[in-house]
Amino acid sequence: MVDYRIDRHSGVATYVQIVQQTKQALRLGLLAPGDKLPTAREVVEATAVNPNTVLKAYRELEREGLVEARRGLGTFVRRSLGAAPADSPLRAELEQWAARAREAGLEREDVAALFTAVLETHYPAPAHPQMQTQAQRHRTRTHHPAPHTTSQGDPS
Amino acid sequence: MTAAPTTLAVPVPARRAPRQVRWLLRLHRPTVLVWTAFVLLTGAALLWLGGPLTDASAAAWKAYNACDYSPRCAYDQDAILRYKDVYTYTNVAVLVAPFLVAAWAGGALTGREMESGTARLAWTQGVSPARWLASRLTVPALLVAASTGLLALLHRTAWTAADGRVDTAKPWYDYATFYANGTLPVALALAGLAVGALAGLLLRRSLAALAVSVVALGGLWAAVHTALPHLWPSVTRTSDLGTGPAGTGIPTAEGVVTAGGDRVAAPCGSDTTYGCRAELADLDAVGYWRDFHPAAHHWPLHLVASGALLLLAAVLVLVSFRLLRHRTGPAARPAGGERTRTP
Amino acid sequence: MTVPAIEADALGKRFGRRAAWALRDCSFRLPAGRVCAVVGPNGAGKSTLLALAAGLLGPTEGTVTVLGTDPATARPEVGFVDQDKPLYPQLTVAETLRMGADLNPGHWDERTAARVVAGGDLDPNRRIRSLSGGQRTRVALALALGKRPALLLLDEPMADLDPLARHELMGVLMGQAAAHGTTIVMSSHVVAELEDTCDHLLLIGGGRVRLAGDTDDLLAAHTRVTAPARTPLDPHTVVESRTTGRQLTALVRPAGPLPGDWRTGAPSLEELVLSYLRNPGAPDQAPPPDTTETAA
Repeated sequence: MVDYRIDRHSGVATYVQIVQQTKQALRLGLLAPGDKLPTAREVVEATAVNPNTVLKAYRELEREGLVEARRGLGTFVRRSLGAAPADSPLRAELEQWAARAREAGLEREDVAALFTAVLETHYPAPAHPQMQTQAQRHRTRTHHPAPHTTSQGDPS
Repeated sequence: MTAAPTTLAVPVPARRAPRQVRWLLRLHRPTVLVWTAFVLLTGAALLWLGGPLTDASAAAWKAYNACDYSPRCAYDQDAILRYKDVYTYTNVAVLVAPFLVAAWAGGALTGREMESGTARLAWTQGVSPARWLASRLTVPALLVAASTGLLALLHRTAWTAADGRVDTAKPWYDYATFYANGTLPVALALAGLAVGALAGLLLRRSLAALAVSVVALGGLWAAVHTALPHLWPSVTRTSDLGTGPAGTGIPTAEGVVTAGGDRVAAPCGSDTTYGCRAELADLDAVGYWRDFHPAAHHWPLHLVASGALLLLAAVLVLVSFRLLRHRTGPAARPAGGERTRTP
Repeated sequence: MTVPAIEADALGKRFGRRAAWALRDCSFRLPAGRVCAVVGPNGAGKSTLLALAAGLLGPTEGTVTVLGTDPATARPEVGFVDQDKPLYPQLTVAETLRMGADLNPGHWDERTAARVVAGGDLDPNRRIRSLSGGQRTRVALALALGKRPALLLLDEPMADLDPLARHELMGVLMGQAAAHGTTIVMSSHVVAELEDTCDHLLLIGGGRVRLAGDTDDLLAAHTRVTAPARTPLDPHTVVESRTTGRQLTALVRPAGPLPGDWRTGAPSLEELVLSYLRNPGAPDQAPPPDTTETAA
C-alpha cells in the first residue's frame, strides 16, 4: 500500500507527486503486480486534495502501462519498476561518478543540472510529466477539461 | 400535528414529512414546562376559588348580614378577604397570559432564531421557510388556545359560582372581570402570538421583538377597549329626573331628554340638589337617558371583539408568510407554501 | 450533458431600496461535480451569493438556477453551512444529529455525520453552547454532509479550525466529492488553502464576478511575463504590471502569441488571484463560454 504525502511547497504539481510516489513504491517493491491502489476517495481523505487530481495521476500511470483500472473494482498494478535494483552494477557506477564529481568540487545543484542535461539527451521525449516545465505542465493540464464524469463512478 | 397548512413545494415521491414538531417542543422545552406550570397553578387556584373559597366567603357574608350590624357578632372575615385576594390574583393571571404569549413569540419563537441564524439552519435542513413558520405558528396556536381557553373557562366558572352569593364579588361589567370571563383571553393570546412572530421576523432581534410585541399587544387591547362599546348595538333606558340615569352594565353614553325630545349632555347627576334642579329646569329636561350594554350583551361583545382580533391575527400571519417568501425568494413554480391558517 | 450545479444570470442583490448593491450583474455557470472556490475580499458579496444559491435570500434582480431548478425547489438537495455556524445552543451534539435525521427523512447519512463528529473527539452529550468554534464547525459540517446533498455550499468553512482539523475535514469533503460526485462551493479569503482542493474558481470583487472558470483554464489563459521596461503590452490584456528599474513584470491574458524575447512563466493560482485582488480596475474575465461544460 502507498501512503501519499503531498508537499504543497515543493513546486511540483500535486498529481505529479502522486505519480512519482507510486513509481517510487513500485521501484522499492512496496507495490507489486496485482496490488490494488487506494481508491480516489481513500487518497483524497488522507491528503485533502481534489479527487480529479488523483484520477488524473492514475490515468497518467495507466497511460504508462503501470496500472489498469478495472471497472467497479479499482485500480491495480500491472507491472513493477524493477529495472534498476539498489545493488545493480549501474548504481555502483553512478555512485563512483557522483563521488568523483564531489571531489571535483561540484555543488549538489551542479550535479543535478548535469545529470538532467545528460538525461534529456538520452531520453529525449518529454513524455514523463515530471520532466516538464511549469508552463508545459499547465498546458497539459488543460487537455483534461472534464475528468469529473469519472469521479461519479469511483468505487469506494 | 402540523395539520398540513402547507403543501410540499417539490413533488418528491413518498418522502416523509420532516418531524418538526418534536424538535420545536424540544427546543422550547423550558418554556413549555414553565407555561404548563403557570396554567396548572392558575387553574388550580381558580378551582379553589370557585369551590371552597366561594363557599366560605358566601357563608361569611351570610353570617355578616345576619348580624345586622351587631358589634358582638362573629363572622369569618378572613374568608371574605381571602376570596377577594385570590380573585384578584387569578384575574390578573388570566389577563397577563396573552402578554406572556406575545413576549415569548416575539423574543424566542422567531426573533431569536432570526438573530442567531438557526432559522437558516432549519431552512437548509429539509424544512422550507414556509413549513418552518407554519409549524412555529400552528403548534403554539393550538397549545395557547387550549390553555388560555381553559383558564378563561375556569375563571368564568369561579366567577359564576360567587355571583349573587358573595357580596363583594365583581359585577360582570367590571372591566377586568369582563375581559377574563369569555373568549377574549384566547383571542388576545393568539393575536399576541401572531404579533410576536411577525415582530421577530421583521426586527430579527430577540429583545427588540419581545418589547415591540408586548407593547403592540397592549396597543391592540387598548384599541379593543376603546372600540368595545360600539361593537354591538347598545340599549337605551330613560328614567325620570328623580332617580337619575338608570341601567347597569357597560355604559356608552348618557344625558338628559328635553321636553322637545332632544338628547343633551347632563349638567349634573340628579335633581335632588338645588343647583342641579335649576340647571335641569333651564334645559327644560324631563328625564335622563343612558345607552349601555346590559348583561345579555356579554357574549356578543366578547365574540365580536374576539372575531376582530382573530381576523387581525390572520392578516398578520399572512403578512409573515409573505415577508418570509419575499426575503427567501419565491419558488419559480407555484409552491403551496402560501396557504395560511387562522391560528 | 449534465445539469449545471449553479447558473447565475445577471444576478443582483441589495438589502433595501437605497442600500448599495451587495452583488450585481453576476453571471456564471458552475458545472456539476466541481469543487469551486469563491474568493474575494471581505464584503465582496461571497456570503450573499451563497445565500442566494441556498434559497435563503431572494434576488433583487436576475436569476439563479440551482441543480436545474429554482433555489427553493432545490433546497432538499443543497447543504449549507453559514459563516457563523448557527446551531441550537441548548441541544447536545447527539440531539443535533438526531434532529438532522428527523428533518431530513429518507436521505440522512448517519454514518457520515457521525464520522465527522467522531473525528473531533467530541462527547456527544455535550451541549452545543459549551463547544469551541472549531467544534461547532464540525457539528455544522456534519449536519450539512449528513443530508447527503448534491450541492454543498460552505461559507468560510475552515475559518475556525486548527490546521489538523482543517486537513482532516477537507479530506472528508474531498472524499464526499470523490464518492458521490458532490459539487462543493466554498468561500474563503485564504487562497493558499484552496489551491489543492479546488478545480474551479469564482473570484468576486466589488459585488461582481471578476473571474470564473476551471482553474486549469484560468491559469492557462494567463501568463506572467518579464520584459524590458516600457515594452508595450498590447494587444494583450494586462491584469497587473509593475516596472522595477529597467524591467517590467506583468500578468497578462495573451490575445495571441507572445514575442519570443519576453520571458514567460505560468502563474500559480494564488498569484493569479492576488493580482486581480490588487487591481480592482483590471478587466474582468468574461464568463467563459460553454467550453468548460461541453466536454462533460
